[in-house]
Amino acid sequence: MKRRKFIQTTGLSIPLMFNGIPMRAMPKSSIFSAISNENDKVLVLVQLIGGNDGLATITPLDQYDKLANVRGNILIPQSSLLDVGFNIGFHPTMTGLRSVFDDGKMAVVQSVGYANQNRSHFRSSDIWTSGSPAGQQWTTGWLGRHFEQTAPDYPTGYPNAEFPDPFAITMGSLVSETCQGTAINYSLAINDPFNLNPLLDFEGADPPNTPYGDELSFLRETIEQTNAYGETIKEAAESSESLIDYPEDNRLANQLRNVVRLIAGGLQTKVYVVSLGGFDTHASQVVGDDVATGNHAALLQTLSDAINAFQQDLNLHGLDQKVLTMTFSEFGRRIRSNDSLGTDHGDAAPLMLFGSCVAAGIIGDNPEIPDNPSVQDAVAMQYDFRNVYGSVMMDWFDIAEEDVKNLLYPGFSHLPIIEGCETTGTSETVPFIEATAYPNPFSKQVNIRFNSGSEHVRLSVFNGSAQELKVLVNKKLTTGQHEFSFDGSQLPAGTYYFHLQLEGGRQKTKLVIKN
Amino acid sequence: MDRRTTLSKMFGQHVSDKKVATAPAPAATAVLSGLAPYMGAFEFEQAAHLLRRTTFGPTYQQIKDAVNDGLDATLQKLLEDRPLPDGPLNHRYENDPEVPIGEIWANKIYQPQPLRNEIRNYRRQSLNAWNVELLRKSGVSIIEKMTLFWHNHYVTANINDPNYTYNYITTLRENALGNVRELAKIMTVNPSMLRYLNGRENSRVAPNENYARELLELFTIGKGPVAGPGDYTNYTEDDVVAMAKVLTGWRDVGYFNMNPDIPMPFGRYVNNRHDTGDKTLSYRFDNQVIPNMGADEYKHLIDIIFSKDECARFICRKLYRWFVYYVITDEIEQDVIEPMAQVMIANDYEIKPALDALLRSEHFFDMLSIGPMIKNPIDFVFSVLNIFEVEYNDANLEAYYRLQLRTVGQPLEQMQMVPFNPPSVAGWKAYYQEPGFYRVWISSATLPPRMNFSNQMLGEGVGQGANRAAIDVLKFTASIDDPFDPNHLIDEFAKILYPQPIPQGQKDLLKSILLPGLPDFEWTVEYGDYVNNPDDEEIAASVADKLKNLLTAMLSMPEFYLS
Repeated sequence: MKRRKFIQTTGLSIPLMFNGIPMRAMPKSSIFSAISNENDKVLVLVQLIGGNDGLATITPLDQYDKLANVRGNILIPQSSLLDVGFNIGFHPTMTGLRSVFDDGKMAVVQSVGYANQNRSHFRSSDIWTSGSPAGQQWTTGWLGRHFEQTAPDYPTGYPNAEFPDPFAITMGSLVSETCQGTAINYSLAINDPFNLNPLLDFEGADPPNTPYGDELSFLRETIEQTNAYGETIKEAAESSESLIDYPEDNRLANQLRNVVRLIAGGLQTKVYVVSLGGFDTHASQVVGDDVATGNHAALLQTLSDAINAFQQDLNLHGLDQKVLTMTFSEFGRRIRSNDSLGTDHGDAAPLMLFGSCVAAGIIGDNPEIPDNPSVQDAVAMQYDFRNVYGSVMMDWFDIAEEDVKNLLYPGFSHLPIIEGCETTGTSETVPFIEATAYPNPFSKQVNIRFNSGSEHVRLSVFNGSAQELKVLVNKKLTTGQHEFSFDGSQLPAGTYYFHLQLEGGRQKTKLVIKN
Repeated sequence: MDRRTTLSKMFGQHVSDKKVATAPAPAATAVLSGLAPYMGAFEFEQAAHLLRRTTFGPTYQQIKDAVNDGLDATLQKLLEDRPLPDGPLNHRYENDPEVPIGEIWANKIYQPQPLRNEIRNYRRQSLNAWNVELLRKSGVSIIEKMTLFWHNHYVTANINDPNYTYNYITTLRENALGNVRELAKIMTVNPSMLRYLNGRENSRVAPNENYARELLELFTIGKGPVAGPGDYTNYTEDDVVAMAKVLTGWRDVGYFNMNPDIPMPFGRYVNNRHDTGDKTLSYRFDNQVIPNMGADEYKHLIDIIFSKDECARFICRKLYRWFVYYVITDEIEQDVIEPMAQVMIANDYEIKPALDALLRSEHFFDMLSIGPMIKNPIDFVFSVLNIFEVEYNDANLEAYYRLQLRTVGQPLEQMQMVPFNPPSVAGWKAYYQEPGFYRVWISSATLPPRMNFSNQMLGEGVGQGANRAAIDVLKFTASIDDPFDPNHLIDEFAKILYPQPIPQGQKDLLKSILLPGLPDFEWTVEYGDYVNNPDDEEIAASVADKLKNLLTAMLSMPEFYLS
């Protein structure tokens, strides 16, 4: 085992209890940042394949009566839903996720989708994995493009001292399209990290510059990569252990359990992709005489139990501030159910994030169900999925906003979905003092004043529909009092918000523009 | 740079003097030849290419026969209709009152529980074993490759009743070389399809559009570029809704039929579930109105869809990706796909003339078309079994079926291609997922099972005693012309196993595996010793070991994963 990895492994796994104090209760400063002088954050993507019915997963309770009119045959009795506050009911099987939510480690972004929704599984999956607009076909993945910036020559020259481990790992047999680069996929597919035997690797002559040669090179490279990374992966998996019992017969939990072992074992892989299929519930989404059971209930239970166990395991390993988990699915489903106790392909749906660094709670408004939706109607988009991706890139991987715009789309606007954890190095923070805005209400200009330490600060203004209008500051400031002003003279009267994020805290305050 | 000169240099061989490209090639990956008939030499390399792409693992003898017969006769043989194979047998279960052991169970009724599950289980096993047998024995015919093509096209999966699956795959096999449009009609009301895409739930009161959407997007015309909201150039969202209504009213007879009057699973029309109103298609289908036509309405709908020539292009692209390569450039679209589609249209959607045109084309035999296809797992597994003519003892039916299942069951699962269970309605990703296509088969998770499979079949094989099945390297070597010269032996092995010649350095490496640190003549001596003393087990074993080392290396080289 390499020396550097050994240090990191012990660093991460020993201090479960430090002088009897559980890790999480310790001030978040020293241990992690002392180990790594660069970004050590990990993103876990959970792909829910088939198009998850968001309305049955995270049910808007204020719309319940309207839902009862149009999807009565599959709608779960209100009394059975898990009321988590915010006018939201979780599906009754999601007790595990409720405890993650109550623990402040879960964020729900409402109605995530994109304009001109495509209702083909394959096209829409391509859109979600590539981050393209609906009308364009991009063959690279949203994370693949990011890796390609860091490592344009990959796999030539990898692994190396700077990047000893795979950039991304897909748990399963197929690599994830999210990690597709122009020429090669940046993720390694792994079924069983404990059973990776080296393949015979023959050095042949350089293959000819023909289609045959291209495919031959690809095969040789994959064999070399498999061998090159195989040993480190196996070592990482074997040098750590699961600290909780995962649910049995849970195909998602099996994948996530191995993810924790790899992270805890010191693998520096940035992205893991796991998946759960079966969400294409055109028929028999529920059992007719007991609608809280059936295919969808079983899927959500699998998801909920797996994430809950995973999150606990991360907590016990002291990795909960290092790992961010995010779900995605190609689309939500129609508002109206069909006659087969199922639902057809729809549009937007809630997206879930987990971890100690998420802005816990509900982001966005409950979807509004029309009084008499047509058969074609589905949940309207509130947030473009690329704004979620981009905010993760910025706040989790420290990618500059300009780069995010290049990698995703020029119209990107940041969403406050991550808060409270340092992403880089150490920095000085000061006790959080509430910011003030004056005058408020205002008609022309408002001034926002706050104190910060030497730390990264982000201040922006949103309208009532949660669209970010302007970023007033997004950089590291010096210690002291700061003031920024916002010109609202061109805006219609109404309610607006400013959103302030400092390392020591976060604040959302209403602004009123009057005529 | 003159592409052909470079190639002939690269492979050190003469390139037949068919049309010589004079224009410089824009890129190495551009295959420029078109659908005109190939007039060049039809030698071992070309014959092997044709048989590898159209069958599962051609043998040395089959390739040599094809060279002797010539391209015309070989193509004719490949495209010949064949009678359907006999159905799968009850291989082990004693309590099926309808089907004694050794008899065909297909289309025989079920019994009440608890027998039903036991009957289902033996039939399911039997069906899978029978499928292995068909692929092992498919010989020089394109029918099994086409049957698998249609399975990947008209996908069904998770079908619980083996009678349904038998009916499904037999329908595809029966029509594999038939008429594309008529097959669309047949599959629309196929009972497995009615189950898989919810057609059976599609009714007048609550249309379920699942099948209608895939019918357009995946089965017939394909999705064009987005031309506006809900408008995919070839059809619109409104067409999906209207067509779902056309297709209302179809039910299947139900799993596990116990009624002797029902001969086999089929789709049945139920009038009071059918939407009898007029259905108006979009301007993409010329605003045609489909009046109530009851049980015949779906046929009329399929005729309307196929009246659009785009259907021929769509299916020809899929055939191209199945038989040639996944990259379709503008030139290939224009010079191969379009003329092939025109052949299909001119022949009223009969598939044989279009296939014939493709498989005898200059483009198909272009040097650049030979070798870049990554074998799918089924092709890979049956290459290993069939090239080496692995024998299975069929004296005991149960052991025979079980062993065939054991040989391929788990390996195919690990390599991600389980027959009768494609991962989604679009089929296996290798045939549609950009940009990787065939490369999807290959990952650090799926490579080890490939290597394990060939190693195992070259080594201990599967099964024991009289029922052991394994590669007999001595028998295989004896079938080669002049196996006494190690250089010639490696050349011949490479010709059989690899699509293109390998460089001398690789041959040298292989020879050092066959004969570590020994001069060539030692092989001639040792092998000659074995031939002269065929009953001396010690000599046979030591020669076999050397050959196993060589073939283990050869089957593990990525060249063997290519076709």
